[in-house]
Amino acid sequence: MAWSRKSAMFASLAIALYLLGLVLRNQQLVTVAVVLLSFLTWAAFRTTNADVSSSGRRLDDDNSSGGIALQNLVALRKLSSARVFEDGEIDVSIRIQNKSNLSKVLEVRDRVPEVMRIKKGANYVLMELGPQRETEISYTIEAPLRGFYTIGPVCIRIQDTFGLFHNEREIHLYDDFLVFPKMEDIKDALIKSRVPKIFTGAVNIRNPGEGSNFYNLREYVAGDSMKKVNWKATARSGGKLMVNEFERDAVSDIILLVDSRAVAETGPVSRNSLVYSTRAAASLSQYFLSRRDSVGVVVYGDEIVSVDRDTGKKQLYVILTKLAGAMAKGNTPLKVVTNRILPHINRGSPIILLSPLEDDPTIIDAVRDLRSRNFDVTILSPSSLEFEFDARRLDRTGYELLKTERDILMSELRGLGANVMDWEPDMLLNTALSGARGF
Amino acid sequence: MAEGKSDTAHLYDGKTIRSSAPSRKKAAGRLKGSTEIPKDAIPEVHVPSVIESFFGGPIVTKTKFLPPDRVVSSLQMSAAITLTLLSIVTFTVTPVSGTAWFWLSNAINQPEIGALIHLALIAIGFIGGMYGIFQREQRALLISYVILILVTIRFAGSKVEFGIDLLPDGEIAQKLLLISYALFLVMYIELTSGIIRFSMLDKSIRTGEVYVMNVKKITRQYYRSLMITPLVAGLVALVALMINLIIPTIVGLLGSESAATRLAESVELTSVYGVALGTAVVFMVVASAFAVNLPVRLAQMRENTGK
Repeated sequence: MAWSRKSAMFASLAIALYLLGLVLRNQQLVTVAVVLLSFLTWAAFRTTNADVSSSGRRLDDDNSSGGIALQNLVALRKLSSARVFEDGEIDVSIRIQNKSNLSKVLEVRDRVPEVMRIKKGANYVLMELGPQRETEISYTIEAPLRGFYTIGPVCIRIQDTFGLFHNEREIHLYDDFLVFPKMEDIKDALIKSRVPKIFTGAVNIRNPGEGSNFYNLREYVAGDSMKKVNWKATARSGGKLMVNEFERDAVSDIILLVDSRAVAETGPVSRNSLVYSTRAAASLSQYFLSRRDSVGVVVYGDEIVSVDRDTGKKQLYVILTKLAGAMAKGNTPLKVVTNRILPHINRGSPIILLSPLEDDPTIIDAVRDLRSRNFDVTILSPSSLEFEFDARRLDRTGYELLKTERDILMSELRGLGANVMDWEPDMLLNTALSGARGF
Repeated sequence: MAEGKSDTAHLYDGKTIRSSAPSRKKAAGRLKGSTEIPKDAIPEVHVPSVIESFFGGPIVTKTKFLPPDRVVSSLQMSAAITLTLLSIVTFTVTPVSGTAWFWLSNAINQPEIGALIHLALIAIGFIGGMYGIFQREQRALLISYVILILVTIRFAGSKVEFGIDLLPDGEIAQKLLLISYALFLVMYIELTSGIIRFSMLDKSIRTGEVYVMNVKKITRQYYRSLMITPLVAGLVALVALMINLIIPTIVGLLGSESAATRLAESVELTSVYGVALGTAVVFMVVASAFAVNLPVRLAQMRENTGK
């Protein structure tokens, strides 16, 4: 049984008046003290020794503490979905059952992660629950930010009507859910591999081979199918047999590098480089996987977490889960990441780096290394300067100064042959990608 | 290195650039030749006062309430009636004699001043309380509690003495009057705290922070407790105050008539010490009930039988 501040003040006042009454031989003060003490005792008598138990997952409550009033209460929670995208909603319903023969006034609070917004209903309910009755509390939460989250525990409190004493216990009933980064529709990312793979797919690579799109004209060589002969071109070429060459369809290997170092979280919680990078990575993954490309993701921060290249819908969920769990930590340089992954990826594969390009002296070296090995490097850089400037954390002079520094770095990267885009907060991913590829 | 100069100063027109993100941007923007910490980098910290530290938080919180709903309005009315009755009873049962202001005014040969102060204190307690009730101003309520208790603090010399001579001389009647005074005081404190509590609850309901199921049943239970608890407390106080009658009766029933008479006429038992003895006896009984886990047993019985 816990005392409230009110009951503690009542008790202190009663004792003080009682002692003062004895000293001053004042029956009036002693009478007030006795009434106050009786008031407290009666409330304590009515509230005493309550406890709680619940059925449900991960229940590790200690029921041996001998509680009575809360012992016959059972709580069960149900979530409408365990996986949502950012800004998605989850309906939560909790069933509270009173299995005792007494009616109870309960305060029930279901603990919701701080970043979540209660969209509909309430997770804090005050109720009178009749004997052998059950009730359902429903509320809807909106998940504005990606991540792994847990709802719970459920706190149930019984207190006397005057709020003097209460008994409460947490029901260790937890439900986990995952918030994936929001995805944007990409019309055409304009990123294609120049390296053929052994199996054909829907994506054209810029090399001749078996495919559907016209690539080039060349002279007929023995073994070419007669179907490929371009008779009009043959007539124009003065007797030489000319054949059509087609662009080879292939599956590309796309590698997405997501910078999740501590510096990537510079800016407001909902508008920072990491938030933009994860959303972009999710959108690009979805786009490439829908083209039947093979997509791999590397998230680097305090450690290097990678998702091996693969295709299909399952791969998308693997990638989204990894992106949902990306935390801004550590300061692993890009060079370390590229050194680690280079032996495992095909030369010429497109590499898309999503990074604020800050606080990493190895960026130039790493990109130079990638370009020297003929990798097609695209850099999308959410500008944390803009985030900070918009949030009024940076004044004009500081902004201009740092912007110049950033522009110099980007020019250097462009000079190395990388497609670089300074991604401003209000720019759509599509626009940013087009900008990066020079279209 | 002198303040305001650094190794990067020559690159940026004399501005110092720090290299650790994310603060480096802030520093780059703010620093103008000095290295003082930017103002917005210092978090706002509320340093608790001595009183707040002692009580673990502010005694009265500054809360803005929405217009009172029906429950709060009815509680305000009840509190106002209780305060009026309390002020009247305080005025009738509390004489000025024995108070500090009585002593002071006598010392300067102006006894009327003492009576005026006494009346003024009761009036301030009443007006402050009324203001606190209707404005839901917790500071005014706190002042009212303190004043209404302060008025009763006086040296009484063991004898029950009232402010108005017309009041009953009978012992039981006198004690009932004292109990009713104490009950009015406690009820006033409870009702006013109820006003604040229900106002906060109402605000939470209307802002969607809390959802209340069966509001009527919950408020009905509160009203029921407001009726029952003072009765129980009054009864306990009556037993404690009547110990000078109860003990001689028990002794008389045990067969010792003369001892019973002697006890009934005992000055100690009729004085405040008799009340103290009564209180000790009553609360020893209550303590033994808790010691044998009676509340738990009763709760178990009620859970099982559903009564």
